[in-house]
Amino acid sequence: MQKTVVSEAADIQDILQQAVWLMSDMGADFADAKSQTVRNTGISTINGDVRQLVRKRVGGVCLRAWINGRWGYGNCTSFDKESVIRAANDAVKNARGDGSEFLKLEPVVVRKHLKADVRIHPDNVDLSDKIEAVRTIDKSQKIDDRIINTTAAYAEEIKDNCLVNSVGSDLSWQEVRTICRAHSIASDGDNMEQYYDGPDGSRGFETVKDLDLERLGRETAKEAVRSLRAVRCPSGNLTVISDPMVTGLLAHEAMGHASEGDEITKRRSFLTDAVGKEVASGIISMYDNGTVPGAHGSVPFDDEGTPSSSTKIIDHGVYTGYMHSLETAAKLGLAPTGNGRAENFGKRTWVRMTNTYFGPGEWDKDELIADTRDGILTDKMINGMEDPVGGCFEAKALRGYIVRNGEITDVVKSFTLTGKSLDILKTVDALSNEVILDGGMCGKGIEDWVRVSSGGPHMRARMIVGGGQ
Amino acid sequence: MTVNIDPKAMYALKDYSQAEVYVSKTRVHTVYIDNSRISNIETKDDTGMMFRMIKDGRVGKASVTLDSEDSIDDCLAMADTVLGYSPVTQNPNDYPCPEQAKISAPDVFDPEVESADAAILRDLAQRVIDATSSCKTAEVKIPRAQIRLSVTESRVMNGNGVDVGHRSTLVYGHFTSMCVRDHPGEGITTFHGTHLTLDPDAIGTEIARQACDAAICREFKGHVEIPMALCPGEGSSMILSSVGSAVHGESVRYKRSPWTEKSGEIVASECLNITDDPTVSAPLSCVFDDEGTPAYRKDVIENGVLKGFLRDSFCGNSTGNAMRRSSVEPQGTYERTPTIKPLNLRVKAGTKSKEDMISEFDDLVLVDKFASPECDELSGAFGLNVRSATVYHRGEPVQIINNALMAGNMFDCLKDIRCICNDSVQTGVVELPTICYGGTELIGN
Repeated sequence: MQKTVVSEAADIQDILQQAVWLMSDMGADFADAKSQTVRNTGISTINGDVRQLVRKRVGGVCLRAWINGRWGYGNCTSFDKESVIRAANDAVKNARGDGSEFLKLEPVVVRKHLKADVRIHPDNVDLSDKIEAVRTIDKSQKIDDRIINTTAAYAEEIKDNCLVNSVGSDLSWQEVRTICRAHSIASDGDNMEQYYDGPDGSRGFETVKDLDLERLGRETAKEAVRSLRAVRCPSGNLTVISDPMVTGLLAHEAMGHASEGDEITKRRSFLTDAVGKEVASGIISMYDNGTVPGAHGSVPFDDEGTPSSSTKIIDHGVYTGYMHSLETAAKLGLAPTGNGRAENFGKRTWVRMTNTYFGPGEWDKDELIADTRDGILTDKMINGMEDPVGGCFEAKALRGYIVRNGEITDVVKSFTLTGKSLDILKTVDALSNEVILDGGMCGKGIEDWVRVSSGGPHMRARMIVGGGQ
Repeated sequence: MTVNIDPKAMYALKDYSQAEVYVSKTRVHTVYIDNSRISNIETKDDTGMMFRMIKDGRVGKASVTLDSEDSIDDCLAMADTVLGYSPVTQNPNDYPCPEQAKISAPDVFDPEVESADAAILRDLAQRVIDATSSCKTAEVKIPRAQIRLSVTESRVMNGNGVDVGHRSTLVYGHFTSMCVRDHPGEGITTFHGTHLTLDPDAIGTEIARQACDAAICREFKGHVEIPMALCPGEGSSMILSSVGSAVHGESVRYKRSPWTEKSGEIVASECLNITDDPTVSAPLSCVFDDEGTPAYRKDVIENGVLKGFLRDSFCGNSTGNAMRRSSVEPQGTYERTPTIKPLNLRVKAGTKSKEDMISEFDDLVLVDKFASPECDELSGAFGLNVRSATVYHRGEPVQIINNALMAGNMFDCLKDIRCICNDSVQTGVVELPTICYGGTELIGN
């Protein structure tokens, strides 16, 4: 069993409280103090050998002082009173400066102490069971001589958080996340192709226990081999049926980042002043919802202590609202939505997404494909990129299929989808009736990685498609 | 700032056939600019360690922040637990043995950065803001930017007798800009260095220019085959995802590098010369890598011929490329297992200016900004969303474009280099100039 270092939560809570009082006494209009301990176990294999087997336990404290509309941060990786108080001093010093303006933050006062809501806590599972699960996934991928690389991985993260602030909030909570992956690379001598699969979530070891590990490995390898037959994807403005992963990228990258409150207060987003306007086809609704049970991006509270919530961003094609931290909510005179998040104790807290997705439609997926005369069906994503200023969308699909006269035909190699986000959303004419969320890490700019998920149904729209060579 | 390894850490490791302790200590100052005002400043201290050990073919590894008196014991206990559960590895890699340095110490430490405080950060940030807002062409602001100054000291010791330290400073800046108008466009630039040579006035002027260009971008229509010139910022990511991945020793070991069997073969145009050079002032330059193996200058591609791969102790015959440090993010260095990284990939610059290059082509697209520049590391294929690029015809700009796809294959592009310019810039671990490649397509709506 791993040892929880910050087991004396009451002690650290007391030190944090003293730091908050100090920052208030030094002139902070608002102050908060957060301690965090993050424990990770990571296991990965390559070609059957264990390549990584590692445990980590990192922790630290983040002190924030808000003075005349400006934040000052002080961070340290020690929990002793002297270090925390020094960081509190740094925070106040850093917040001072010319040219700032008063803005009152309106945090919700919360006093709660929560344990993680998981079925099988990873702390209660022997490390050997976790290693065995990974080796099973790896071994099961060896289905064919054309599989030249097999990789399997399991990772868990247990975050213990304490937060107090100058308005009287007093919180502690634990977040538990697990992830399990299979990744196969196939080669026929001329081409190399890959495929991956596996679940994730704010769950315990049930992520693994509920899984048919051999099937995951076998099917992933089968798909990698199938990709060796892939042809180059056609290019142009085409009908695309995006799978839930790529639909999720559209929700997250194209619309989600542009709906983050800080992009609105800076008027950097193409969705600034969009509330009440028609921005998408009438069948489109979109949410950021940090309360989805078990989803990778779910959190009970954000990193400012605001309870997580569900924000309806688009309602039947009409734009309805933004995500907020304490700062952006105050700037716009609105309530915070629980989206003030930070990668960890050493990073900046600002507006970030949680679980971002389009709501379902009415089509059965197979009927949607059968109804499509010519198009591309995507199958998993590689990555995507936001463009809040320009409103463009970019997603790289891992592979796809050509749909001809309602039938799935050739498999196609990795390709890129792009276009103006609002143009794409206005062309959406069909959504399937199931929503699937996929977990991952989201950076803002080029860093500050937080755990999120994104998803939606299968979605039919027009997009620019470009295939690599 | 000094970093020492507690003697009890090495003493505790004496029972293992192979053992290593790595400790790093970092102090970071960051200033953030939001909406052309300084929005927050942070000061961060970060200290931690990693234990790695091998016994009877079993491998143990754990890392912690050094946040209490018990931290070392906690870390050792975690690593030992991991080792106890570790399956027996047939060929566990040995950690390095002590060796003499192969190069003299590069200039990677700036006392000015070490002594920097909030006042210096405020001044730098304000100068970037002022330079951007003084743009005459249009009203330009900085929606988001940051400047980060850090000093990191690290030390690695192992049971074979390696005991080496490293101290460096890092200056990193990320700057965006936009015009204040209905169709704003956006400029982005970065700064990567070890010294406080960041020129806030030049950066402000450059991002203002980029924003003005981006604001008059028009959506590209049509589909043409056209040579692609990449400015250094975008080119560095493309070189890293193609060359950097293909010479990665672990990819070669597992035969997933497209260049696995190609050492000594032609992989690029004859004009391409790339070295991995840790002797100059660059973010990851060092005398010893983060496992304690001597680093040195090595040819990667010479006159288009692949000369060798980059390796760590896991791959064997280490070239001193095992890195925990990042060229961008100093926090959490101790958490990272050493992995193979180029220390400083330098593409030999050509003789022509960018303007001369442009004038020599009938048609050319010069890309200022992709959404996310990278290619598929297995195949080299790419299809990249263009955020801002200029199409030239016979040396004259005919259109500034966005919202199009640039498609091609980077491994084919490397064999079809049309021109290498003389305007080298350091971006992360890559130093290269503007390069023009053939065999690419521009696809619009």
